[in-house]
Amino acid sequence: MTPFYAWVTSLAHSGILPADFQYPFLVRGFLCVLLLTPMLGGLSHLVVSRRMAFFSAALGQAALTGVSIGLLIGEPLNSPYGGMFGFCLLATLGMIYVKRRSSLPPDTLIGVFLALSLGLGLCLLVAVTRQFNVHQVEAVLFGSLLTVTDGDLLLLLAVGVVVMVLLAREYNHLLLDSLSPPLAGVEGSDSRFLDYFFAFLLALSIVVSLKIIGALLVEALVVVPAAASRNVARSARGYLLWSVAVAFVAGAGGLIVSNRYLVPTGAAVVLGASLAFFVTLVAGALGRDALGRMARGRQAAGVAIALVGLVLLANRLVIGALLVGAGAYFFKFGWPSARDQSARDQ
Amino acid sequence: MSAGAISPSILDVSNLTVRIDGQLLLSDVSLSVARGTLHAIVGPNGAGKSTLVYAVLGQIPFEGRILAHWRRNGRIGYVPQSFSVDRTLPVTVEDFLALTRQNRPVCFGVGRAAARRIAAMLDRVGLAGFEQRQLSVLSGGELRRVLLAHALDPLPELLILDEPATGLDQTASQWLEDVLLAARDRDDVTVLMVSHDHERVKRHGDRVTVLDRCVVADGAPADALA
Repeated sequence: MTPFYAWVTSLAHSGILPADFQYPFLVRGFLCVLLLTPMLGGLSHLVVSRRMAFFSAALGQAALTGVSIGLLIGEPLNSPYGGMFGFCLLATLGMIYVKRRSSLPPDTLIGVFLALSLGLGLCLLVAVTRQFNVHQVEAVLFGSLLTVTDGDLLLLLAVGVVVMVLLAREYNHLLLDSLSPPLAGVEGSDSRFLDYFFAFLLALSIVVSLKIIGALLVEALVVVPAAASRNVARSARGYLLWSVAVAFVAGAGGLIVSNRYLVPTGAAVVLGASLAFFVTLVAGALGRDALGRMARGRQAAGVAIALVGLVLLANRLVIGALLVGAGAYFFKFGWPSARDQSARDQ
Repeated sequence: MSAGAISPSILDVSNLTVRIDGQLLLSDVSLSVARGTLHAIVGPNGAGKSTLVYAVLGQIPFEGRILAHWRRNGRIGYVPQSFSVDRTLPVTVEDFLALTRQNRPVCFGVGRAAARRIAAMLDRVGLAGFEQRQLSVLSGGELRRVLLAHALDPLPELLILDEPATGLDQTASQWLEDVLLAARDRDDVTVLMVSHDHERVKRHGDRVTVLDRCVVADGAPADALA
């Protein structure tokens, strides 16, 4: 990877890329965002559709406990994946098993598991801090760019590909099951399998995302992009695109803010996603009147993107040119869903 | 539910008992649904009508035997009693109907072939042009039509409807009745329907089973509902 970092650094030095990219750790962070956002954005809208937001919060806490277990059994501080994944998987299986067999409401059961794993995690954390500096453990809690390695990137790439392929394969079944389990059952879906399958993918994604986002905040990136997307999306395709876009903007923005203002990466990313939520909330409300309709129009979108591109063009040639190109594309062809519709109308 | 040998009936339910959390919901229910008929299940609230449907669909555990005798595609079309859609869920009618009509994930868009098929399906139930409407903004009657369009494509061998006329006005109820009779008479679809409307069942039903946790009466509508 060294020649790649040297190439990116040279682009940053020559002014083609922003100056932040002269640091290899930030390049690694940006690559993390590029890999994380399609995966978490894709999962995010199904998490919200399947009402599993609280479940993902519980998994974040379970990951924290898993880190403590991993460190206590001798895993390296930089990659306690065995403990994390092992405990998250155990918690996932436990929660789904009990949820499917108990008559108690799911949020009550998940609350019990959340309290259990948090209590256990805190007890173990005290034991862990006897062996490690508390600031080293802090990186796991809140996420840190400095601890991301090339190995983590490769793991993220591998898991991201597996998760996205499996998710695409079962997507239609998962969405129908979240709309009406009996109807999905009649169409041949196995509700029990889908419950375990989706929870497994979620646990896997959360575990590999922890190093950059942090255990306490990872659930926010699994929930907030879809919540923001719901404010403005009008179709399943829009729902996915907006979720991924919000996750990407929050991820990339949070990364830059975290580097410039020395705040935890996870916190900056989650703040970015929350900001996007409120922006889309306003945009969604405006969307119900004429102004919103205009803002959703392809010309308005195209012009807005092209203007941002022109501003950036002065300093950042590549990014600016890409945005101008994207703006021209939307101006000419509109959003993909609108294009499909107009083709069908003809 | 398992497939059996060729038989004049399409569905045989024998000694069906359902217990949920220790509570007895159905006790020793036996009935037979003849092929190509409109068979109605009636009974008071809490009689176990929807429980019977769930058992036939294999959605809940049961004791006893449910045997289906398929001759064509063995497809069951199902229109559930309730279908509540989250008001903020951005899923269009076309997205919903495409979920089972294309392999490509619907979040990547609806293919042209699926879109054409869905347009024809919606046209059949009087909802032409509703493709891009969001499910969450449909009225109860429109949603029932969408569910019926889904259940009728491809044409099922057995169509199960759980109180399909709930929330429909007189015109929509009449329309539904026409669609069901056409499915039975023209397309040889067997219809198993949970209903509260005794008058309509008497007019068009071929057979009625009156349930109240067990079978109270079973036979021709005029006799069973007397």
